[in-house]
Amino acid sequence: MTPVPEIARNRRSLSSLPALAGLLLLTLGLSVFLGVADLPVSDIMSVLAGHGSPEAQSIILDIRLPRIVTGALAGIHFAVAGLILQTITRNPLADPSIMGISQGATLSVTLFLLFSVFLRDPGTTARITEMPLEWLPAVGMVGGLIAGAAVYALAFRRDLGPLRITLCGIAIGAVLHAIAIGVIAGWGSARIEVLLEWLSGSLYARSWEHALFLSPFTIAGLLALLPIRRALDLLQFEAPVASSFGLAYRQHFSFALFLSCGLAASAVGAVGPIVFVGLIVPHLARALVATRTPLLLPVTVTLGAITVTSGDLLGRLAGQADEIPIGVVTAVCGVPLLIVFLRKIP
Amino acid sequence: MLLACSKLTVTYSGRTALKSFDLTLKPGEVRALIGPNGSGKSTALQAMAGLLRPSGGHALIDGLAVDAIPRRRLARQLAYLPQQPTAPDEMTVAQLVRQGRFAHVGLLRSYRAEDEAAIGWALESTRLLALADRPLRELSGGERQRAWISAAIAQEARILLLDEPTSFLDIGYQVEIIDLVHRLSRERGVSIVMAIHDLNQAMSVCDRISLLAKGETVFDGDPKDLAEAGLIETVFRVRGTFVPIAPNAPPHFDVELAHRQMRTGGLARQ
Repeated sequence: MTPVPEIARNRRSLSSLPALAGLLLLTLGLSVFLGVADLPVSDIMSVLAGHGSPEAQSIILDIRLPRIVTGALAGIHFAVAGLILQTITRNPLADPSIMGISQGATLSVTLFLLFSVFLRDPGTTARITEMPLEWLPAVGMVGGLIAGAAVYALAFRRDLGPLRITLCGIAIGAVLHAIAIGVIAGWGSARIEVLLEWLSGSLYARSWEHALFLSPFTIAGLLALLPIRRALDLLQFEAPVASSFGLAYRQHFSFALFLSCGLAASAVGAVGPIVFVGLIVPHLARALVATRTPLLLPVTVTLGAITVTSGDLLGRLAGQADEIPIGVVTAVCGVPLLIVFLRKIP
Repeated sequence: MLLACSKLTVTYSGRTALKSFDLTLKPGEVRALIGPNGSGKSTALQAMAGLLRPSGGHALIDGLAVDAIPRRRLARQLAYLPQQPTAPDEMTVAQLVRQGRFAHVGLLRSYRAEDEAAIGWALESTRLLALADRPLRELSGGERQRAWISAAIAQEARILLLDEPTSFLDIGYQVEIIDLVHRLSRERGVSIVMAIHDLNQAMSVCDRISLLAKGETVFDGDPKDLAEAGLIETVFRVRGTFVPIAPNAPPHFDVELAHRQMRTGGLARQ
């Protein structure tokens, strides 16, 4: 029990939201201006002003901007999904993978690519460019949601406790993951590159279609969160306590779970499983916010966007032509952070 | 009758934890539930709070079965505080007590003056105003327990179910809680059912007392009659005597301890 410098902490958290918003703008700006293709600042400015060379326009408007927007949206999805799951399962290590979301998405994407290649062009070797890549986000999302629903159904048969959900999620996730790896190993083809890139969580070649795919889910998810904020506060307690405070525990637990699965599954579909964002960002946000809990959601949203955008920028710059996938960057940077946070947990 | 249990029976995977439990609670009445560990006190409270589905009998509030009333409506009638509840680390005392108003504000309604007044009153009654902005994890066990009681009374329900509210508190805070229970019942007309281990505190504060043993009610009535029934010694496997302490107060139970017995035995032989 150490005395806490209350004033210092409150001051820090008060200033955190505007500071974070500034940081987000800075990250977004840097991501527009920096990249593998070395465009002069003046060219980029003129593109943003509405003219500029066709080449610069194509790089900024068709490559960098959609990629940044997709990344920021996916970051928000993962971070908010992780925050909801950590809150309602009271498990500080919860993230979308404990609901089997990424594993379900992985398996469905794997199977989809496998079948589409063999069914579309039996006998011939289809080239990677002919693969139905535009379907990957939807396929991944549906697979993730099916896995989440399976976990829910399995846990729902008895009481819907957080521990039961977690255990069912880990079990189902492990099975799905094993099947997907088995399929990949048995496939043994050069076309596996597409799959591996998706699997490592990548923003490479993400277009406006990906951003458009994600944005309705972002808007719907965040809007749906607003009216259930008090319910989320109460879901932090054990079921008997939350119920005696007047919460219809099962309904609200299920709805919050559904919301986090929807956010995570749509993001996994669009960009692949970006490891650790859903786990780390809520912890960072909690550390920044301390006891000012009303700020937790906005801070998580902003930090989620910052993390993925800056991680992607880092991967693009560090790898140059062979860029490092965002999933790898977040995992490499996330592990030290995780270790720091684990030391703080008593 | 405000709250009425009749033949309330709860079974956990074949084991009967509570058997044909009867209880009636009038407005402003304090009822103590006593009994050895595992005698069914907590089970009875949980069933009355609508958190367990009884395998037989029913608990009714104003004639409606508690487990059929929507939770938020029930929470405006009845507040329940389990044994040793846990709260998230970063939650402050005031934030916890605020949750007690959920029954009134729901998901969307903003907090009105009456809600803030109830929160302030609850904090004041439990002497927590000075600690309101402290995170719960920085508090002592006793302060944390008072914060939970504060949240339960901020709910302003007519019925308050408390599961061992004084456990883990020092004697000073125990007395404060007992006095608070008495004040709530007499000044605000709150009806209270309280599981409690301290027999003398139970007898001193309650209007009626239930003694449970292995899920069955072995006594239900006035605390003074319990003293005369001679049940305490058999149920709790102790020897002792009830000592009168004041003309209008229930007597105190004085336990005989083994080593004291030996000493008096030794004296008698001399």
